[in-house]
Amino acid sequence: MTDLSQNYFVSVAEIAAKLDQATTIAQKLSLTASNARAVALRAGERAAGFRPLTDFIDRLAEITIGSSKKINQMAAVLSQTSAEKVRADGAILHFNSVYKIAHESPYIHSLDEVYERCKSEQDRLEKTYRRQIEQLSEELATLSSELRNAVILATLSRVEASQAGAQYQDALINVADNVEGAAGKIKNHIKYSQQMVSTLEEY
Amino acid sequence: MKTQKLFECPSHTWIMFGRDDEKPEAIIDTNQYMVVTKNNSLLMDPGGIELFSAMLAAVIKQVPANKITHLFASHQDPDIISSLGLWDQALPSATLHSPWLWESFIRHFGMNNINYAAIPDEGNILKLDGVALEFIPAHYLHSSGNFNVYDPEAKILMSGDIGAAMEAVDAPLFVEDFDEHAKKMRMFHQRWMPSNEAKNDWVRRVRKLDIEMMCPQHGRIFKGDDVKRFLDWFESLEVGVLNKG
Ligand SMILES: [Fe+2]
Ligand SMILES: [Fe+2]
Repeated sequence: MTDLSQNYFVSVAEIAAKLDQATTIAQKLSLTASNARAVALRAGERAAGFRPLTDFIDRLAEITIGSSKKINQMAAVLSQTSAEKVRADGAILHFNSVYKIAHESPYIHSLDEVYERCKSEQDRLEKTYRRQIEQLSEELATLSSELRNAVILATLSRVEASQAGAQYQDALINVADNVEGAAGKIKNHIKYSQQMVSTLEEY
Repeated sequence: MKTQKLFECPSHTWIMFGRDDEKPEAIIDTNQYMVVTKNNSLLMDPGGIELFSAMLAAVIKQVPANKITHLFASHQDPDIISSLGLWDQALPSATLHSPWLWESFIRHFGMNNINYAAIPDEGNILKLDGVALEFIPAHYLHSSGNFNVYDPEAKILMSGDIGAAMEAVDAPLFVEDFDEHAKKMRMFHQRWMPSNEAKNDWVRRVRKLDIEMMCPQHGRIFKGDDVKRFLDWFESLEVGVLNKG
């Protein structure tokens, strides 16, 4: 019991930490987008096709930051629920041992009402906990599928970069690499978080 | 957990709980006290989280759960009140009387249901079914916000950490040889109590009370002349001393 509860507190905290890292990467991505915009502007007509792509990169960064924030909040709520759940579980364990020690007490049934209330509170927390994990899992899946667009974005960026002329080509290819690299890192964090969530589902 | 009746009269009863031989060894042994009146009970310094099951089991042998209407925490220490989060589940409509100074700290133990009745620095009186229980200031002995409970009818002073001694779990409940017992109290009082001024002020005030029994939260109860012996001993003891070893 103690092991498991420690485990899930740690898991929830790790999800929050991973998504914090994802936010930092996404912030860098948005910086990449504005750099790319400046380069594309300097490259003029030949990089005209690149400019709209920078908006997409920006949007991807925005979605990632927004979604990470949301997941972070969900993890915080989940952590609160799991703390309450541990308390309720602990109270039930304590009451069980009181029933055992004091079974001969004339007043032992004066605890029944409290026990029933704690039991139903425990059930409620259990259901809340399950629902919150499910929501968290859905949000992670949504973000993960949004990030699939990053690969397409990177490919398109490379195509446009090759038309921008030798002077700007390297800088724009670098943008494409950054987008791909950032998306890959964020995806890894999400994957890790998804694994954490699946361990939470087992309790 | 042993249970001992200390005083009984038509209006109320004092009960002591302690000498818990099932507690983990690394935990300091504590005495808990309860006053039972017609329809209410006050449970004093209910103890640490490790003690909760044993305590609730012992209490429920004396009174039904819904009759434990009031709790008292002399100060914020974990051995006094870290069980609060569980009492909060067990007694959702109870009231906790505790120093105003510690309210925002004690709430860290978990308090969603119980009502916090803050005791002002000068103390106050709790009336339970006509029985008056006085919260007597004992600040800086050792905690900077700290109260004793005095019952003028039973002539009992619940003195919290004042008069405490580190003892084995099988030690007798009452002081038998004061001088012998004083040896076990000396270090505790010198190290944990920070202020001679606060100590002497407390002794002056407590001398004026009619006390038949002085009941600390650790160690043994002082009876009759041993109460006066304690006050003399405490008055002459220099506290706020960092003793070595
Ligand atoms: Fe203390
Ligand atoms: Fe204590």
